[in-house]
Amino acid sequence: MVETVDMNIWNASELIKFESEIAELFNSGQIHAPVHLYNGNEDHILKVFQKIKDDDWIFCSWRSHYQCLLKGVPREVVRQAIVAGKSISLCFPDYQIFSSAIVGGQLSIAVGVALGIKKSGASQHVWCFLGDMTAETGIAQTAIRYSRNHDLPITFVIEDNSISVMTDTRSVWGNNLLSFEESVSKNVITYKYKSNYPHAGAGTRVQF
Amino acid sequence: MGTYFDELSRSMRYLSGKEESIFLGQAVAVPGTAMRNTLTEVPNSKLLELPVEEEFQLGLSIGLSFQGYVPISIFPRWNFLLLATNQLVNHLDKLRELTGQSNPGKVIIRTGIGSTNPLYPGPQHTGDFTDAFREMCQNLEIIRLDHPSLIFPAYQRAFERDDGVSSLIIEWSDKYND
Repeated sequence: MVETVDMNIWNASELIKFESEIAELFNSGQIHAPVHLYNGNEDHILKVFQKIKDDDWIFCSWRSHYQCLLKGVPREVVRQAIVAGKSISLCFPDYQIFSSAIVGGQLSIAVGVALGIKKSGASQHVWCFLGDMTAETGIAQTAIRYSRNHDLPITFVIEDNSISVMTDTRSVWGNNLLSFEESVSKNVITYKYKSNYPHAGAGTRVQF
Repeated sequence: MGTYFDELSRSMRYLSGKEESIFLGQAVAVPGTAMRNTLTEVPNSKLLELPVEEEFQLGLSIGLSFQGYVPISIFPRWNFLLLATNQLVNHLDKLRELTGQSNPGKVIIRTGIGSTNPLYPGPQHTGDFTDAFREMCQNLEIIRLDHPSLIFPAYQRAFERDDGVSSLIIEWSDKYND
């Protein structure tokens, strides 16, 4: 039996509080693995999750704490998994959450799940989260195009913080507009945000 | 026991009789490769023709396995399968560790070592990376079909096993005409 959480407990301040706790644990050397923290996107992701149903699938990258919490994984279960070193590839099959720490790694797998759902005639939907740099990769273009053309039950959520690690996405691609801005796709939603956390860790050099 | 080609066709016929099976790749529903000739008895409803993008194909196969399918994902040559190495090494091989599940889903990958006779297609079409991938993948069953007697048992075991282990099965294209 999967333990479910009353999702009303989650609002922007509670999400921020959770990531702050993880930041403290990391900075105090209690997590012996990389962590990738969210910040500044709380209202956006809460809005996305208003559309997500219990039996939907979620696919994420290396930054997925919020998705796990908002999909109903108990707070302590997520926390323990992060402390155990799994922050960058959190997977909770009972909640239909799969994450990959490889750029774009989750995208084609998500499309396969969506294809399976369509073939079976089920009513579930797949929500696939990716960042702005990932959205420019060839595999993202393929996944989005194939899903749109075959009308698969999947939505790609591009979370645009404008950087990848410290690399400015638009600058390295030599264009102020990224692909998803130049050509709008019906199976893509986007939002912009700025985070107070670095790409990895929580801003403090930790001596283990 | 039949010839190498007969045993491959028999194996595909066996797999096509399973409700969960689905065959996907380039030139599976249309002519174009020698492997396609082993699929002529597979119902069209089980054949999924895909665009050519190997990384996408293998990821798609993994996703289908999460939905209860057993995909037979076909890459006509080892050199082509190299383009799906990310999904093979970083995802399929690591699924049980990543998900914590004993049986998260399995994929049967079919690939081949390109033929050298009567035409030699060059170094980009005749590679055999079996030993290298045995080193790189700790959780996959990797079998090279050196003899016809190995063929049907390999595909049968790949389908029937319930331990969540995916299989990478390598064929010799030069043996198709034996």
